Amino acid sequence: MSERLTVTELNTRVKELFSATPGLNGIWVIGEISNFKMYTSGHCYFTIKDSSSEIRAVMFKSARSRIDFDPKDSMKIEAYGHLDMYVERGSYQFIVESMKKSGIGDLFLKYEELKKKLEAEGLFKQERKRPLPQYPKTIGVVTSPTGAVIHDILTTTKRLYPADILLAPAQVQGEGAAQSIVNGIRLLNSVGVDVIIVGRGGGSLEDLWAFNEEPVVRAIVASEVPVISSVGHETDFTLADFAADMRAPTPTAAAQFAVRDKAEIFRQLDDFRIRSNKALSAVTDRMRARFNTAEAKLSPKRALERLEYLGMRIDELSLKMVSAVNSKVSGMRSRFAAAEKRPELALKASISRRRSESASLFTRVDPGMKAILTKQEHRESNLSARLDALNPYSVLDRGYSFVAGPDGRAVTSVRGLAVGSQITVRMRDGRIQADITDKEEYHE
Amino acid sequence: MSEEKQTKIDVENMTFEESITRLEELVKKLEQENLDLDESLRIYEDAVALREHCRKILDESERKVQSIMETANGLKKEDFRELE
Repeated sequence: MSERLTVTELNTRVKELFSATPGLNGIWVIGEISNFKMYTSGHCYFTIKDSSSEIRAVMFKSARSRIDFDPKDSMKIEAYGHLDMYVERGSYQFIVESMKKSGIGDLFLKYEELKKKLEAEGLFKQERKRPLPQYPKTIGVVTSPTGAVIHDILTTTKRLYPADILLAPAQVQGEGAAQSIVNGIRLLNSVGVDVIIVGRGGGSLEDLWAFNEEPVVRAIVASEVPVISSVGHETDFTLADFAADMRAPTPTAAAQFAVRDKAEIFRQLDDFRIRSNKALSAVTDRMRARFNTAEAKLSPKRALERLEYLGMRIDELSLKMVSAVNSKVSGMRSRFAAAEKRPELALKASISRRRSESASLFTRVDPGMKAILTKQEHRESNLSARLDALNPYSVLDRGYSFVAGPDGRAVTSVRGLAVGSQITVRMRDGRIQADITDKEEYHE
Repeated sequence: MSEEKQTKIDVENMTFEESITRLEELVKKLEQENLDLDESLRIYEDAVALREHCRKILDESERKVQSIMETANGLKKEDFRELE
């Protein structure tokens, strides 16, 4: 005799059957979402379908809170859960306990395959990587015109170094993104920039996908201009990153790779200044040493010419500065001219007069100019100290004498001086005529 | 050597990279070579001019920020300003 059941009993029996059947519990259902609705309760109701069938599904609030994306219509998903009977309606539905977007696994597979292939071609090799220019005139950027990437690059480069920025706006995710990035790289190559930064901000693997596509990787490889990549977060490695000449973990870092910090360049310039000053004083030290030896060509006339000439050079140096400084230089020149006539007191007076003249000049010029003048003054006092060292009379002061032959010219060798001829010996405070009574030539 | 003598460098038209590279060469030359005072002063002057040129570029040059696009009428460059 057949059993007689109420509807409720029947549906309850089906419900129990479902829960007792292993193949209907703890399973993954693969399909596409449609008719997605979330109620104010936080529960979600939707249909999961494939090309030829569909099933109603429920995801309760607690399950919804465990997934990290927003399910929506036409999204391909894999839902984990169990089959349940809604007894009151006599319909069954799939209770979703967890859900993930499908296709991610496929993407990983694609990524690995393409990576292997391009790696085998040698596109990611270290020796392919080109050095970045240190002082680019123009930095090309391929990214979205509205993202954080261009913002970070603009603010960072502004702070570091005055390079021009040329942005090739690109679509960095979704359909057509790869082509858009490729076009940007080509465009910047065609107009001639010095380095290219290509990138986008953080996102899911799908968001970053364009940077794993073969055309983008090949465009980076083909770029004649070195490329810095900055894709996603520090932990994301796209194939574009492997192909780039430099991979930056963030857009700010990309900007830092692209240029040198001008504060550091200024330090280097200052180092150059110190070194060239040092080198120049080494030269004058050598000169002084030469003049201090008795073999020096101590023709006062030539030395004076030389001083005049150096004075001219100083004039040239000062020309760009101010005429006030020039007058000081010409003062120096007249001081050397006076030195030839040997009025030492007058010389000293002249020097101190010049000094006070220029000192009063300094107080009249405005502070900015004064700074320049002080620098220039400092340089000239160095030069004037060096000129002092060249002054033949400072040598005479130290006990050397100057010997002139019968023709009045400086004598630097005993050759050509015969016993019996006359020479003039000039000392600090006067001169004597002397007869040569003996002669001996040293042979080395 | 004689070729060196006549180089009066055209600092104004040099790029930053050219300037700082040349400057470094000159400083090394000053340091390493046994030059006379004339030659040293000449190089020193060039070094001063180059250093000033570098400083000027760093301190005073205004950078351009532009975007470039391919349009039906060819390339189009325009000033780029970020949207707030």
